[in-house]
Amino acid sequence: MEKKNAVLSLYPTTKLLMILLFAISVFIIPNYLFGYAIFFVCLLIAAIGSVTKEFANLTIKGLFSLSVLIFVLQSFFYPGTHVLWEWSFLAITQEGVDFALGLTSKIIAVGSSLILFFRITPVKDFVYSLEVLGLSPKATYVVLSTLTIIPEMKKSSQIIMDAQKTRGVETEGSLMVRLKALLPMITPLVLSSVASTEERAMALEARGFTVNKRKTSIYSIEKTGRDSFIRVMLLVILILLIVWRVAL
Amino acid sequence: MSYIEMKGISYKYPVGDGKVLKDVNLSLEKGKVYALIGANGSGKTTICNLIRGFIPHFFKGDLDGEMLIEGKDIREWEMGDLAQKMGYIFQNPFTQISGTKDTVFEEIAFGLENLRVEVPVIKERVTEIIKLFGLEPLQNKDPQQLSGGQRQRVSLASVMVMDPEILIIDEPTSQLDPQATEEVFKIINIMKQKGKTIILVEHKIELIAEYADWVILVEDGKVVMEGKTKDILSDIKTVNHGVMLPQYALLGYEMRKTGRLNEIPITESEAITVFNNWIVGKEE
Repeated sequence: MEKKNAVLSLYPTTKLLMILLFAISVFIIPNYLFGYAIFFVCLLIAAIGSVTKEFANLTIKGLFSLSVLIFVLQSFFYPGTHVLWEWSFLAITQEGVDFALGLTSKIIAVGSSLILFFRITPVKDFVYSLEVLGLSPKATYVVLSTLTIIPEMKKSSQIIMDAQKTRGVETEGSLMVRLKALLPMITPLVLSSVASTEERAMALEARGFTVNKRKTSIYSIEKTGRDSFIRVMLLVILILLIVWRVAL
Repeated sequence: MSYIEMKGISYKYPVGDGKVLKDVNLSLEKGKVYALIGANGSGKTTICNLIRGFIPHFFKGDLDGEMLIEGKDIREWEMGDLAQKMGYIFQNPFTQISGTKDTVFEEIAFGLENLRVEVPVIKERVTEIIKLFGLEPLQNKDPQQLSGGQRQRVSLASVMVMDPEILIIDEPTSQLDPQATEEVFKIINIMKQKGKTIILVEHKIELIAEYADWVILVEDGKVVMEGKTKDILSDIKTVNHGVMLPQYALLGYEMRKTGRLNEIPITESEAITVFNNWIVGKEE
């Protein structure tokens, strides 16, 4: 079902090359309008990939609020002589606004491309493509297992917290009370995690994880003709951008 | 030549003082179910780790004596070959899931992928084992979302799919409820029928009475008793080593006090026969 989607069905490294082009292009073309335009391109791709809501949520809540803050600070404090507006010791200068526009456009372009990438690429697919490229399965295991171990640790920290509560450790209230409750929680959490790591390692060993052969995989994703076409297009766009920059 | 043999084995873990195993001599035959019993900390898991080669390949420490698998010393075995030869099920169902797979089907395939088995063969074998273990309703579920009992069944399937000759099962049901325990033992029984050599550590003595061919009683790092399951679990001396006899055997000893009872039963079916005979004898 998901695989039929024009964006989602692209090979992970094709998607990676695409967002890399977006990120690099803002440094080739200095115009801030171009940087902001990249956001709309990402939004369009997100819409085709049916992830508009998640993409918009993350960019608006995270990226935009950060950019607004940076814009305000840079406008006021960037040194310049052409004052546009002044109040007491605060002054907005033309140079400040220009610099802030340039900076935030780059942040938004790079940030939204990265957000887009992880919205349209399942980590599993990305890691699979890296393994195909020759990354060690041990390294990819670390990436993938971390994602699942964190919720497990969260669960066990909750259990430990409840256990400590029943033994009278105060876990709610002021900052000091919470800090005091941290030690009796952290110690068993770390110790139990270390202990289970040993068993996890042995369980992996028992299933031949460290056997020094290249592994097979029942999960597979393939590059298609569309991937090659898009890669060529990306290259053409990159060359055009460079030519445009040099010609300007 | 024995299939698995320990000659004068003594072992001390790198951390911790004192020897965990002291002059252990064991000889195991192919195709039998061996139960290792004994109090906590008596050395049962260490024996399992040694047979599987985790000692000395994974845990260093001081190992004396000879540990032979098919006549070849454990130190000379490659870990990859041992992974194919022996399956190992651990006590904790929550640490045995690889944590990198999205579905139970992929989780079970993990071991075969590591051994570089061809994809069509993997799919065939995984489908077969899922059917054999009745895991069809779980096969598309996320392994992280399974209950302890379900995870333990998936772990068993994940190991069995690699078709090992020897299976080491270390307290598989210690964290499971009675129903899940029963399901796990149904699977162990399937493996027994397939002629696998099974080394089982378990505290639930009734289950040992039911499934094991041979019992090895370990106390303080030494093998203190070993013999046919019936002989060990109907022998009142076993109680002196920190192990309870099955309830049917204890009941048998109580009944013997009141009159003749030729045999001490250890399983439910034996108990029914023996006690029926006893009642008939009383009535006569």
